[in-house]
Amino acid sequence: MGQLFAVEIIYRGVFQKTLAKNITRGIVLAAHFEGKPGISFGRYGDSPERNGIPAKSFAIVASDDLTLEAGMAQYEPKKVDLIVVLDDTLCKGTESWAWYGLQPVHHALKPGSTLIVDSLQEPVQLLEEIQRRDTPYKLGIVKGVASFSGMWVYKDDHTDVRILGAIAKALPELVSLQSVEKFINAKLKNPLKASSARAAFERFSTVDVEPGTGNPEEPFHFKLPKWQDMRKGVSVEGQPQGAPIADPVTGQKGGFRPVRNELFRKYSTRTMRPLINFSTCTKCTLCWLNCPDAAFDVAADGTYDPNLEACCGCGICEAVCPVSNCITMVNESEFTDNHSQWVQFRTNKEAYLALLERKAQPVADRSHGFRFRGQYQQQVPAVLEAVKKG
Amino acid sequence: MATLAVPVEEKKKAEEQEALITGAEAIAVACKLANVDVVTAYPIRPYDTVMQYISQLVADGEMDCEYIVAEGEHSQFEIVKHASVCGARVFCGSSGVGWMYAMEALTVTPALRVPLVAMVGNRALDDPGAFGVEHNDALAVRDLGWLLNWVDSAQEALDTALIAYRVAEDPRMFVPCAISCDGAFLTHSQALVKIPSAGQVNQFLPRYNRGKLLLHPDNVVSIAPQVNEDWVMEIRRQNYQVTEQAIGVIREVYADFERIFGRKYGNPFFEEFMTEDAEVVLLGMGTLSTSVKVAIRKLREQGVKAGFVRLRWFRPFDGPDVAKCLDRFKAIGVIDRDFSFGSPDLSGVLATEVRSAMYTNAKNRPPVLGFICGLGGREVTVPDVEKMTNIVFHAAKGDAQPLTQWIGLRE
Amino acid sequence: MSHTLVDEKPTQLLEPFKGVKKVPYHEYYTSGHRTCQGCESAQIMKLMAKAAGPRTIVLGSTGCMYVANTSYYATPWGVPWMHTQLGSSGSAALGAAAAFRAQMRKGEMKDEPINVIAFCGDGGGADMGLAAISATLTHPDYNLLILMYDNESYANTDIQISGTSPYGVNTSFSTPGKVKRIMHHRWKKNVAPLMIAGHPTVKYVGTISTSYPLQAMNAVRKALSIGGPTFIHCLNPCPKGWDFDPEFAYELGQLAVNTGIWPLYEVVNGVLKLYGKTEQIANGRFKRLPVRDYLLKQGRFAHFTDEDIEFFQSKVDEMWEQWLVPGVIPLRHELRAASEI
Repeated sequence: MGQLFAVEIIYRGVFQKTLAKNITRGIVLAAHFEGKPGISFGRYGDSPERNGIPAKSFAIVASDDLTLEAGMAQYEPKKVDLIVVLDDTLCKGTESWAWYGLQPVHHALKPGSTLIVDSLQEPVQLLEEIQRRDTPYKLGIVKGVASFSGMWVYKDDHTDVRILGAIAKALPELVSLQSVEKFINAKLKNPLKASSARAAFERFSTVDVEPGTGNPEEPFHFKLPKWQDMRKGVSVEGQPQGAPIADPVTGQKGGFRPVRNELFRKYSTRTMRPLINFSTCTKCTLCWLNCPDAAFDVAADGTYDPNLEACCGCGICEAVCPVSNCITMVNESEFTDNHSQWVQFRTNKEAYLALLERKAQPVADRSHGFRFRGQYQQQVPAVLEAVKKG
Repeated sequence: MATLAVPVEEKKKAEEQEALITGAEAIAVACKLANVDVVTAYPIRPYDTVMQYISQLVADGEMDCEYIVAEGEHSQFEIVKHASVCGARVFCGSSGVGWMYAMEALTVTPALRVPLVAMVGNRALDDPGAFGVEHNDALAVRDLGWLLNWVDSAQEALDTALIAYRVAEDPRMFVPCAISCDGAFLTHSQALVKIPSAGQVNQFLPRYNRGKLLLHPDNVVSIAPQVNEDWVMEIRRQNYQVTEQAIGVIREVYADFERIFGRKYGNPFFEEFMTEDAEVVLLGMGTLSTSVKVAIRKLREQGVKAGFVRLRWFRPFDGPDVAKCLDRFKAIGVIDRDFSFGSPDLSGVLATEVRSAMYTNAKNRPPVLGFICGLGGREVTVPDVEKMTNIVFHAAKGDAQPLTQWIGLRE
Repeated sequence: MSHTLVDEKPTQLLEPFKGVKKVPYHEYYTSGHRTCQGCESAQIMKLMAKAAGPRTIVLGSTGCMYVANTSYYATPWGVPWMHTQLGSSGSAALGAAAAFRAQMRKGEMKDEPINVIAFCGDGGGADMGLAAISATLTHPDYNLLILMYDNESYANTDIQISGTSPYGVNTSFSTPGKVKRIMHHRWKKNVAPLMIAGHPTVKYVGTISTSYPLQAMNAVRKALSIGGPTFIHCLNPCPKGWDFDPEFAYELGQLAVNTGIWPLYEVVNGVLKLYGKTEQIANGRFKRLPVRDYLLKQGRFAHFTDEDIEFFQSKVDEMWEQWLVPGVIPLRHELRAASEI
């Protein structure tokens, strides 16, 4: 039995679909320059991908065809030798389209292997979000803003080749930098991208993460019933109706919180969350009315509180809110919990407004998806410049 | 050509009337007696005479149901599927390529545990278009969870339709049941049929109650969510439980039928004709039984010890009992009024199923020959049956015989 | 249509919501569905269920609103819901309505008006299920609503062209290539007028947009109350398939109307009434925005040349300048010069 390597890419559905595929195909094609056979596939349960919902794609490479077979005909490899997370807000855990409850990003990572994250943050900050585990692993950062595109127009900001460079550094037995460069020059015919890969290779380093280090939160999960215990006729209980909410200070009841589907909470879909200024809200209903995910609870005082287990971060509320800066979409990494903003506002108004002030800075560019023709041509040079400075 | 197959024993019932009606019309009468709620019709020969009869019953006020003429068989079967999930007792039917046009609906109905009684007026599949009987249409759903039976008389068609409602709507089942009537010979020839009273039927047929699976505002439920590989094995296994219990349920229902209506069908799954001392037997389904019985009586007069087994229920296929019955004979000839291109030994569907049942359950394992006969409506004649019986006797004596032979073919 | 032969059954009398503040809190299509960020098809499901209320059953044909919503043994539905096949929304509604009618007449079920709604996507409604919907719309004696959410593609299978996809659009069945830039030459099917013209006894056919949420809900309530079979066509911006930042889903819906591409109207007992910006376009109080403002905000048109945009603009201009009933009925009136219309 020869050597078998599995690489897992965790990414934002649709926004990073092409990027993830470029990476897994790049790994297989580059490794092939060293005579190694391999396969690249997306996790079947993730398709059809949905905007923002976490998805996975894989590259399996072996020393020979026979060994490769051991890595085939599975939806995902049980254990992987390297994981790449293409957006750091995924580090809180992923509840994917294929529904397994919340899964830590290192779920399938072999002990001692490397977890690579595309991020501007430092490892210590990421370890506040990544759930702890009882075996050691290595954590490495590829400096960069998460690279988002859409279904049809691809933003080629060299993220794919920089990840390949980091992979060659983290797991040389899988593929060498030389093979990565041969692949880029032969297949992508883009020497600039080859130099980006080399730069990432040279700059990449990892820190050792000891067992027990990380976010102590126990991610929610579900036990699937046996066939004898399942309801007959492929039927499922519908959702009951919700109820008014109690004001944390006065105890007075009002508003409405709908009952929500417990088996898919969807909050790991967010890259941004709406931050609400309840004091400027005019209770016009438009955020609540136009939210496709019914994520807003109607608070006891008639304002609207986004339930941060249901909100998937689309940003429509910010777009339709008539009051400027009443709703601001803020980077999800700024927060470590899903507690109610309205409860914080009601129990300690000053502290909440101070937090609002700090967090609700308009970030230079938070586009997640295509906004206008020519947008990517404008964004890419700035990204390459920022990366070069490192 | 009247069919005179009279069930084994029969007690006279005072209030029963009698009518001269076809097999299709007999099923329409059963629907009326069963107080069916929703019927969907669409024209295609030869089944649709059942719908013409129902239309008249509705117009005459003898039948109180929603009578909907759909714009195609796919819609026909989808409408009744949804009506059944909403609690209605429903009836539908088709033939040949019409039945095939509804195939998507035919697959989801058993999967979702939706009871539905449907008539299949067996008809050759296109192309070319042909009106004559062939069994491939009904057989096409044999793996999908449908209960499938073949009747060979208008009386049996009426009785089996009532039985089908009782079986299909049993909560242990909740699956669709198709009653196959051979095109022309059963769908289009009128025979004298005893019509049971409404009182008897009400005693026999409880009201259809969908319980927790009913789609109604008082029962907030979601039915048939999309599932992935975490769920399908378990769902299929639940539906397999139906096939495990079906044979028991059908026996119970036939016993109840006899108690209430007085007509005794004996073993629900197959009828044995002159098999007590037979050396060889023929096996087949549907109205070819009449020619076979005539031929067997003639052969018996010449001292030829042949018998006939008429299979009623093709699904569930009572493999052990069929094998136990057939294992007593020196050789068996299975008559397939269907084709199965590329099947083992190029035999018809029925022959392949019988051989499979014999392989696992029979000890003596007599040779099982396959005959392709009566396709596209061609008559299965008495000489054809004599020829087949003769071939089977040769096999019984050990002469090598081709495993599949086409009978009644110009060659 | 009160001809004696058709004994119409009473419906629930659902008054229109008199303003966004009057919209009830209850959710009958709640959170926890696997739709894309900013999915306006999910938005119309929420509005539709909220408008219909608890005495409702919903039948959903295959499409995003099936697969994404009720995946893996879970559900966001707070009213009874059942899946139906891709081309069966017409039959599903008819079967359910017939079942209730028969059982209520026979005293086997409490006699009350139950809303029966079948939804379908554009693939399910305008393509595969069109025959069944058309047949269902000819049955005067069943109260039901068929709502078609139109994201202009077979979105659930990763975006392929459907009968309502716009001219020239990029989908995985019509990707621009080195030799052929435009693979999809068909113009979008004019579905609502097809239902209006084809089924004269239907009492309500309307088009709605999720960027007009209040009118969308009131259209559903009017269709359910008016009785008989009714049809609503909703345009639903699809962030994935149209390839735009989900934050602008609402704005894209408005732009579709403001450019005259998506006309808003309803036909109530045969009387046509335009509403929203469409009405203002028709009576000259609002000048249609150029289609370029709409097209180039979407990645699915990123491959368009000026020539493609001009062609698209010319076809939309035709709708408003040459159609006998602007935006609705594509019959040209030869005698009258364009200016007279």
